[in-house]
Amino acid sequence: MFLKILLRRLITFLPTVLGIATFAFILGHATPGDPAYAALGVDLEGYSGVDPEEVERVRKELGLDKPILVQYFNWIWNALQGDFGRSYVNDYVVMDAVIEALPNTLYLLGFTMLTAIIVGVSIGMISAIYQGTIGDLIARLISIIGVSTPVFWFALILILVFAYTLDWFPIGGVVEEFGPKALVLPVASIALHPAALIARMTRSSMLEVLSHDMIRTATSKGLFRKRIFFVHALRNAINPVVTVIGFQTGNLVGGAVAIEVIFTIRGMGELLITAIHDKDILVMQCAILVIGVSFAVINLLVDMIYLLIDPRIRL
Amino acid sequence: MKADFKTKNKKNESDFLYRKSWDEFLESLKNFFGKKLNIFSFSLVMLLIFIAIFAPLLSPHQFDQVNPLNALAPPSLEHFMGTDTTGRDIFSRVLHGTTTSLSLALTTIIFGLVTGVTLGAISGYFVGIVDEIIMRIVDVFMSIPGVILALAMVAILGPSPIYLVLALSIRRIIQFARVTRGVVLSIKELDYISACHALGMSHIRIVFLHILPNCIGPIIVLSTVLIGNVILMESTLSFLGLGIQEPTPSWGTMIAKGNEFLTFAPWVSVSPGIFLFLTMIAFNLLGDGVRDHLDPKDKVST
Repeated sequence: MFLKILLRRLITFLPTVLGIATFAFILGHATPGDPAYAALGVDLEGYSGVDPEEVERVRKELGLDKPILVQYFNWIWNALQGDFGRSYVNDYVVMDAVIEALPNTLYLLGFTMLTAIIVGVSIGMISAIYQGTIGDLIARLISIIGVSTPVFWFALILILVFAYTLDWFPIGGVVEEFGPKALVLPVASIALHPAALIARMTRSSMLEVLSHDMIRTATSKGLFRKRIFFVHALRNAINPVVTVIGFQTGNLVGGAVAIEVIFTIRGMGELLITAIHDKDILVMQCAILVIGVSFAVINLLVDMIYLLIDPRIRL
Repeated sequence: MKADFKTKNKKNESDFLYRKSWDEFLESLKNFFGKKLNIFSFSLVMLLIFIAIFAPLLSPHQFDQVNPLNALAPPSLEHFMGTDTTGRDIFSRVLHGTTTSLSLALTTIIFGLVTGVTLGAISGYFVGIVDEIIMRIVDVFMSIPGVILALAMVAILGPSPIYLVLALSIRRIIQFARVTRGVVLSIKELDYISACHALGMSHIRIVFLHILPNCIGPIIVLSTVLIGNVILMESTLSFLGLGIQEPTPSWGTMIAKGNEFLTFAPWVSVSPGIFLFLTMIAFNLLGDGVRDHLDPKDKVST
């Protein structure tokens, strides 16, 4: 049964990936500017200093003279083999840059998600258990503030307070340079938003579960409060939380872009932004494809986890 | 004579229905404003809209008045929030930034709403190949993170305000289309729609007059929840240098500018951020309030 659902989900996964690839390809071709000129190091089309024959030669070399459909299939075929060509602007192999950047982003997002889950679930639990007290009010206040704080601004405030004034953490976010301490501020900045949402979600689903009959039964059986909260209630309350985590990965990627730029972390977001500013089409295409596909994979994984922890939705 | 009676009766009936729905509407408003938090967030939003409209009258200086001699001055009585690198008054720029942010967000939401609802209605009403194609495209766009999608669109179109609205609204179009499609799918099998068909009404009339009114609740909820989202996304793009361009005042661009002088002129970044933060709080609280009011079942935040 589980395998069948997995298979069905995988079948819808493939067209999505193809769609993302198509989008990335169209993106490269719709971006203003002629790649042949860019490859020659000339930004402006129609710049008189370039030999037209030279441009033709480069165009042929890059396969830009072929019909668009041929170019499309060539691009897809090369992409399948992990070959995205050399950057026109900075002359490096595109795939190398991505291989260097992707782990940085994944580390950043992984630690962020972990922090967000731990902090969010704890705050949500506290505010559900002490519902209606001052602790609950504070927890709810934190979560509404967390949801409303712009990531990039919060990061600057953190830098101002903890890096410049208190000098506890470095300003850059590169682990090789500053050690693991460098990750604290970037992770804290991105984690705020998902932690707040998870807290909110945990609170409301905990409150719902706590009103169920089974909790009353557990209480009347004389079980300890702790056991009731952490084993019986939390287990049932965690499902909507997983959904929120799935929703949030997209927002996280968005937040990560700004954070990578602020903390000069060489990740996918920073790569993409630099490529857009430089009009570096190949890098742009590759970055969009890799980000899109990773995001789709993460969503697939979240769906699978959801299936595993909640047998009720196995339709 | 008979026909005359019929139309008169019909008029009375519609008048009665109108009154009834108007009373229900008033009742619902009363309930909504019965909560203190809703009053608070609504007033905050109204205040922001007021600032956005009357920014030129409220700001003490011209937002683009350069004064290099007074660059990066700390907050004072003359400049409540200090000045930026070219000596422009930050407070005035922040007030004008409200106009930029709110008008851009509103345009985006309206554009997304109209396009999305139309697409969703077509998709849900004419199930089949059209629906299939629209939903597959929607799936692809949903699988690209929002900011990345907007960045890609800006890369293609270039950072002008109109294109920015386009880039920001793609995601909104999809969200509105999904919600509308869901409602249309569930409504169109109901008996009264069959009755409409039997009366020989056109598809367009059925969709616009008899199906779409059912979507008003979810669409109002979605719009209020999304406004904060759009404002945040616009300021993120501007922060990255790919949104609103200088000299148009925008909170994101201002925060980005201040990033370079964070050590000795923190007010350049901090002050516009406070406004952005307050705007987000106002719209998020209002969105939550509206959602709880109109759609108490669905508590999942987008």
